[in-house]
Amino acid sequence: MLDKPDAASLLTAMAETLSSEVLPATSGVATHSVRIVANLCRILARETRDGAEARELTRQSLVELVGREAPLEDLVRELDRQLGERPDDTDLEARAGRLILADVRRRLAIDKPDYDA
Amino acid sequence: MSGKSGSAQAEELAGKLSGILPGSPRVEITGAASVGAQRSTLFIDRIVDGERKPAVAQIAVGALETLDVETQASLLRAAAEAKVPVPELLAWDADLHAIVTSRVEGESIPRRILRRVEATPELGERLAEDCGRALAATHAIPVAGLAGLPDLRDPLHYLDELEGQLAELATPVPALRLGLNWLRRNSPGPPPQEALVHGDFRNGNLLVAEAGLAAVLDWELAHRGDPMEDLAWLCLRTWRFGEDAREVGGFGELATLREAYEKAGGTWREDRFRWWTVARTAWWGLGLARQAQVFLEGHSKSIVLAASGRRVVELEYDLLKLIGA
Repeated sequence: MLDKPDAASLLTAMAETLSSEVLPATSGVATHSVRIVANLCRILARETRDGAEARELTRQSLVELVGREAPLEDLVRELDRQLGERPDDTDLEARAGRLILADVRRRLAIDKPDYDA
Repeated sequence: MSGKSGSAQAEELAGKLSGILPGSPRVEITGAASVGAQRSTLFIDRIVDGERKPAVAQIAVGALETLDVETQASLLRAAAEAKVPVPELLAWDADLHAIVTSRVEGESIPRRILRRVEATPELGERLAEDCGRALAATHAIPVAGLAGLPDLRDPLHYLDELEGQLAELATPVPALRLGLNWLRRNSPGPPPQEALVHGDFRNGNLLVAEAGLAAVLDWELAHRGDPMEDLAWLCLRTWRFGEDAREVGGFGELATLREAYEKAGGTWREDRFRWWTVARTAWWGLGLARQAQVFLEGHSKSIVLAASGRRVVELEYDLLKLIGA
């Protein structure tokens, strides 16, 4: 009933195997591809652990800004539409800017930790 | 070419390259610097009387939105005349979509360049000076004699292009929308001087030797435009590869670049530098998102294109910081 290791642990182990065992055995274009895949495994390991919570935090802040309940993707589209239609609404931009920056920081923690140092 | 083995294809290509080179020397393909969906860069040897002379062949293989090879060839000639360090043009052919140049010794892989700079800090400053001089020389090349260059002088026209690209993204990116709104509000108007802009002058397209900048590569994004665009692009955080304290490509100081550029006759315009820093950050964010879309729509299985989608967030962050969000 409980599969172990879980996805995050396996993805971390896959990244380590690629980096320590597969990478030294490659050359040229393949080396680049292995590095990319190992990095993607690490991203997915972090996303498996933290992605759902990060997305829900963004969704909740968007609900507050847009004023209605909806799935995350619909709310992102709504915000983008409002920003496109009201390019001179500095109040909207200020509130949206804070929200978007917080969301970007949460995604960076998954996709590229330390970038926001 | 389908149905032929890799070696037969290579042999056929070598024969074609031989045909466009002066004296039709025997050609051997000795390796690949890169093989992309749009372009291959191959190392070749020209063999004359048993002597091997190394060269580089660039061959467009996709539907590129870039300059035709004839225009690229004329750019390489003009750059050489203006004392910009570039490989020597040996041959080009429109039907083959190929340009053949001399092979210049040097390193182009950014992280290796930055490791050398780490070991020899004066190399970084020398490189920043060389970049300033090379860009000033590039921007002084008369554009009137160069046919076929896109005209990207008007920032508002440039913005229209970016907004068109944003509208075509299947997944909205509100950070990019904020950036484009900022760019429209802060547009500096057309540049006071028209210049030849390299368009992709950054760490990764520079060949670096012990003495400094050995050659400026990849001219296929060149256009008529604002010279500050090149300087801004060179200094984007994305081309520092983690060495963020050194604003110029992760290897040099901004003040060094600026001083060398001005000393070589260039005019630095800070407001335009800032605008183009935001504009090219948005452009590259859009570029990465578009690459990911090619993967998402099933046009390519490239892991490089897929991974591009997870890099967009870096450009979103840089953009928000630049516009003070």
